[in-house]
Amino acid sequence: MPSLSDKAWSPYMAGVIIGLLQIPTFLLMDTALGASSSFVTVGAHLAALVDPGVAQIKYFTSHMAGAKNWWQVAVVVGIAIGAFVSMKLSGSRRPAVSAVWARATGATSLAGRAPIAFFAGFLMLLGARIAGGCTSGHGISGMAQLSVGSTVAVAAMFAGGMLVANLFFKRV
Amino acid sequence: MTVLTGILIGLATGIVFGFVLEKSRVFEPGIIVGQMQLRSFIMLKVFLAAVITGLIALAVMHGAFGVKLSLKPLVWQADIIGGLVLGAGIALAGACPGTSLAQVGAGYRDAWFVVLGGIAGAVFYGYFDTSITAFFAEKGAKVTFAELAGYPFWMVAIGFAAVLTIFLVALERMIPWRQEVGTNVDGVLPQDAVTGSAPSRETSHRA
Repeated sequence: MPSLSDKAWSPYMAGVIIGLLQIPTFLLMDTALGASSSFVTVGAHLAALVDPGVAQIKYFTSHMAGAKNWWQVAVVVGIAIGAFVSMKLSGSRRPAVSAVWARATGATSLAGRAPIAFFAGFLMLLGARIAGGCTSGHGISGMAQLSVGSTVAVAAMFAGGMLVANLFFKRV
Repeated sequence: MTVLTGILIGLATGIVFGFVLEKSRVFEPGIIVGQMQLRSFIMLKVFLAAVITGLIALAVMHGAFGVKLSLKPLVWQADIIGGLVLGAGIALAGACPGTSLAQVGAGYRDAWFVVLGGIAGAVFYGYFDTSITAFFAEKGAKVTFAELAGYPFWMVAIGFAAVLTIFLVALERMIPWRQEVGTNVDGVLPQDAVTGSAPSRETSHRA
């Protein structure tokens, strides 16, 4: 039996639990699981602190208020809390930087990773917002709804990821 | 629904989500980069197991109880270009938008920069949303494979779930997940085992 203090569970059990989260999400929130639009909600509120013009931009204002937008912000905050609790229970705190980066890019320190990490996050959300969803919204949720658009987006995601990981990284 | 209720439901959902992202190790940069180099398949395993479960849940909820789907429109250029940019970001980050937060929770410090970069990217998009959508100039329809095939949603969903399940059973037989997590559960395997990965994995499975 898997225990809460295990370091690793079967990917299948984890996947099934994630899939089951669609049930409360559809029934209570009338939407599907997603993660990337929460970055717009938080970003829009931060931008509004310095730029009053944000209130005139419909894309921002449509993400700034209401239960659904804050629900998704709470989901991603919850993800950090859930991962923290799981890590504490199994005692597998992660180092500042994963050992995989030394192999893939030669980066061994936080200072070496930070600029790439920032740029990577920027690309991730720029792409997710152009496509209208990420690995959660298009991937897990879109494909579970047999969405043609989401399947196209997921194929492009893996193509982009494989291209970069094979062209710019050493074999890990 | 009040914002507070939404936040409470979101927190409960997210905590379970983050817990199993950590337990499955799919949030590890080593696993995500490994997947993109086809050296690891844990990401695909978690992803497809979640899709299969969602397909069955929606076959019942939508098929039997008429719960509304929440589809995104098919916009070819935006889906492909956005997907490529997002995928490039996922490889460089060793994370996707959701798992970057799991990395923060589990202790990876570079993930904070991924999250900050993500907020910046989302704001950048917001300022250019009108011009970007005008550039692609696609209206987009919300279309499912069930509609294209002309069969009921539940039938296609169950059929697709069955095909994906068979694929996962075969994949697990070839590459058991326990051999993919690594001693430090970060998906980083001994380099010599990696270079000879495919044959050594198969041999040990059959032994």
